[in-house]
Amino acid sequence: MIKSLWEVFNKEDLLECYQCARCTGSCPAAQVMNSYGPRETLLRCLNLGQEAVVTDERIWYCTTCHVCEDRCPQEINIPELLTAIFNLAAQRGNLPEKIKFTLDLVAKTGRSLIINDKVLKDRQKLSLPPMAALNLDEIEGILKKTGLGEIIDLS
Amino acid sequence: MTPKKVQRKDKVEPRIGVYVCHCGLNIGGVVDCAQVAEFAAGLPNVVVSKDNLYTCSEPGQELIKADIKEQGLNRVVVASCTPRLHEPTFRAACQKAGLNPYLFEMANIREHCSWVHLHDKEAATAKAKDLVKMAVARSRLLAAQEPMEVPVIRRALVIGGGVAGIQAALDLADSGYQVYLVEKDPSIGGRMAQIDKTFPTMDCSICILAPKMSEAGRHPNIELITLSEIELVEGYIGNFTVTVRKKARYVTDSCTACGDCTKVCPQVAPDEFNAGLSMRRAVYMTFAQAVPSTYQIDMDLCLNKHGIVACDKCFQACQRRCIDYSQKDQRITLEVGTIIVATGVDVYDPTPLTEFGYRKFPNVITSLEFERLINAGGPSGGSLIRPSDRRIPKTVAFLQCIGSRSKRSNIYCSNICCMNTIKDALLIKEHWPETKILVFYIDIRAFGKGFEDLFQRARREGVSFIRGVPGEIIEDPESHDLTLLGENTLLSQLYRYEVDMAILSVGIEPRKDSPLIQRLLNLSCGSDGFFLEAHPKLRPVDTPTGGIFLAGCAEGPKDIKDSVTQAGAAASRANILMSQGKVTVEAITVWVDETLCQGCGMCLKVCPYSAIRQDPETQIAQVTQASCAGCGTCVAECPFSAITQRHFTDQQIYAQIEAITEEAPETKAVAFCCNWCSYAGADFAGVSRFQYPPPVRIIRTMCSGRVSTGFIEYAFRRGAAAVLVSGCHIGDCHYINANHQTEKRVKKVWKKMERLGLDPNRLQLAWISAAEGNLLARKMQEMDGIIEAVTAEEIQKTRELLVPTKKAKGKLEEEDPS
Repeated sequence: MIKSLWEVFNKEDLLECYQCARCTGSCPAAQVMNSYGPRETLLRCLNLGQEAVVTDERIWYCTTCHVCEDRCPQEINIPELLTAIFNLAAQRGNLPEKIKFTLDLVAKTGRSLIINDKVLKDRQKLSLPPMAALNLDEIEGILKKTGLGEIIDLS
Repeated sequence: MTPKKVQRKDKVEPRIGVYVCHCGLNIGGVVDCAQVAEFAAGLPNVVVSKDNLYTCSEPGQELIKADIKEQGLNRVVVASCTPRLHEPTFRAACQKAGLNPYLFEMANIREHCSWVHLHDKEAATAKAKDLVKMAVARSRLLAAQEPMEVPVIRRALVIGGGVAGIQAALDLADSGYQVYLVEKDPSIGGRMAQIDKTFPTMDCSICILAPKMSEAGRHPNIELITLSEIELVEGYIGNFTVTVRKKARYVTDSCTACGDCTKVCPQVAPDEFNAGLSMRRAVYMTFAQAVPSTYQIDMDLCLNKHGIVACDKCFQACQRRCIDYSQKDQRITLEVGTIIVATGVDVYDPTPLTEFGYRKFPNVITSLEFERLINAGGPSGGSLIRPSDRRIPKTVAFLQCIGSRSKRSNIYCSNICCMNTIKDALLIKEHWPETKILVFYIDIRAFGKGFEDLFQRARREGVSFIRGVPGEIIEDPESHDLTLLGENTLLSQLYRYEVDMAILSVGIEPRKDSPLIQRLLNLSCGSDGFFLEAHPKLRPVDTPTGGIFLAGCAEGPKDIKDSVTQAGAAASRANILMSQGKVTVEAITVWVDETLCQGCGMCLKVCPYSAIRQDPETQIAQVTQASCAGCGTCVAECPFSAITQRHFTDQQIYAQIEAITEEAPETKAVAFCCNWCSYAGADFAGVSRFQYPPPVRIIRTMCSGRVSTGFIEYAFRRGAAAVLVSGCHIGDCHYINANHQTEKRVKKVWKKMERLGLDPNRLQLAWISAAEGNLLARKMQEMDGIIEAVTAEEIQKTRELLVPTKKAKGKLEEEDPS
């Protein structure tokens, strides 16, 4: 469990940012969703503090595609910052319903999608082998070890 | 103590006068000056000891002069501010009273004591006593020195024929000196010749440059040496021998530039002058206004490359028979007194920034390519056309900071691009007023005279400035139109602009071959790759190597006006040296005791200035006094103690170490700080009143490279709790690279301490610049912690174990004065 973003991300790295907006300019999530891009996330972290960011649901539009990192002229590891924000937000319970649902699914079935009869039929049609059985205990162990057990209900 | 040659000559018993300055309340408010003076009176050889309010004042200086005469003083110690401030003042006073200025010594009890220990008067007074004791101990061993004079040849070499080089050459030539102007390209003119207009006045670039070029070409005092490169530089301030390789031109000087040869040449290649936007022949002239106005053959392209005449079309076409395929490269030797480096810059190539599609999308061009397109003498005759379809664009985007301010390219601001773009935008508006122009920027830096006016004019004329550089350029493969994706940061809104053409406002960077020039001339480079000036504020065109000056962009990105200004300054600095005809070198150079030198050659390897050579027969080291800058790193390296640095002898430094460690050494640390960075950094900490604990005593050497392993070990053997060695940051050494030796030596002692089971943490190495007073204060805090942590057993163990290594005993016995 982390209390502050700055335990895992060096706050001084944010000072390297001079707001050129190449990150947001190249952000595919920002292009399609009504979100603020990485530039504004960085600025909010710096000027308004972490609370302003972790409580905002729009951070979850990020797909961690790493393009912002590739384009950043100052080589700021933006995905690392965003991952830290996700973790902190999740700890606080600021987890969108959709993501919570997916996590629950992984915990309970070991898969991130619902496998129904249609899916299985489709697989047959495409001559794909039947789906392997999953060791749910092992998955639960992983989820516990990563700290996810404290965020979602694993029982 | 083994007395050395210098000391033997000087047998007169020292009579030392000590003057403790109150500096008003600056020192007197913290340090008990009367008590310090009283303490000094009890030190050996001190015959006069006084404290006064302002020693640097006229009465203060008169007092010293009177005492020299009346009391027969032959050494003077002033305990006041930093020697970097008033050493010249007091030296001059001593000289006036008939005392050699090198017999003066200073104790810095203001910047290094009263100002940094404001709240601990007792400890500050104790430290001041130690500092005075150190100065007195050193002064006892000082010797009179005579500054040396060397003659200066009254001829100059200017490397690089851009506007800076041309201006410097003209200024020097007009002052009456013979100037050699060496240019790598076939013509002088440089970058300025490629540019269409200049900002902020919108003057035609070549129109104002061409007269200067031809003036340089016909000036009786200037010898133009084009298509030539420097191969070797030997010598020292005032006396350089330079070897220049003059490449074959394959066209003789009788060329009248009629151009008949070009018309028949079958070989073509991209034209470098037009940034590759047009083609040229193998026999060509770079541009119409070229000086010298002579064609040349690009032998790499010519069919006669391999010495066999496969094609003689140009030879046949030339009525004056100027073509000579058999010409060979020549080597010329020049003897000059001063050198001006005006090697200019390269333009950043944005190909690696794949998101902008340069070289992939034809309508994405650089600002230099734009200059050639908009120039009437350029490939399109002055029409701004899209490379894809030669249509005049209706919407043009400029992208700023391409290749500047970025860890992915160059971290610095390239200085010229903002204004260049504004000028370019106005040029487009001038020719095609309907064009829509978008400038994508991060910050517009319009800082110079007339710059803001031009910026506002561009806005009034309808140029849109949008804050936020695009993250991506997308091309329509059919029309080759471009779409820019990005964010307008002021509106926090994403944008998507369709444009016909995008111009990348590229930055400038050091020449690719500048490391070669750096090596040839012994220059230093900053982390950005540009040549370093001797002092960023007060010696902005000098280099650390005497007699060599910088002009133009070689020193850092700058516009034409600044380049010309700097060229004038460099010429003036060179002029000062040459008009004097001689130069005085401070007497801190080294000399070799021939009876001790074994000819091992270690000193040659560490000398940053190549000032030492070995006698071909005896192998004994010989020092070229005029080349020696006085870093003393050879002295620290010599395994036989055969080298002595004037005014910074081993004995003098050992005496300072002894003075520090005489009483309660276990509570103190000995610090060695280089004059230019760390000592100055400590001064800066004082000026800034950064408070730090008092147990560290600083010994000043010119360079940290002067600090031998013997000094460090001796301090430990005398019981010092800790030792700090501090110099300029690697790459910023005032003596080019002498601090690499510092690092090497400290590592050596660390290893030895580890081997002996001693705590190597007690020896600290720190790179502290003159501007890093806060860093120095932090280091002093750290040292205090280290001193606290050291146990008496550890110190005793060190005293016993850290003895001179056996194999070098001969040397270290001598080094160890105890």
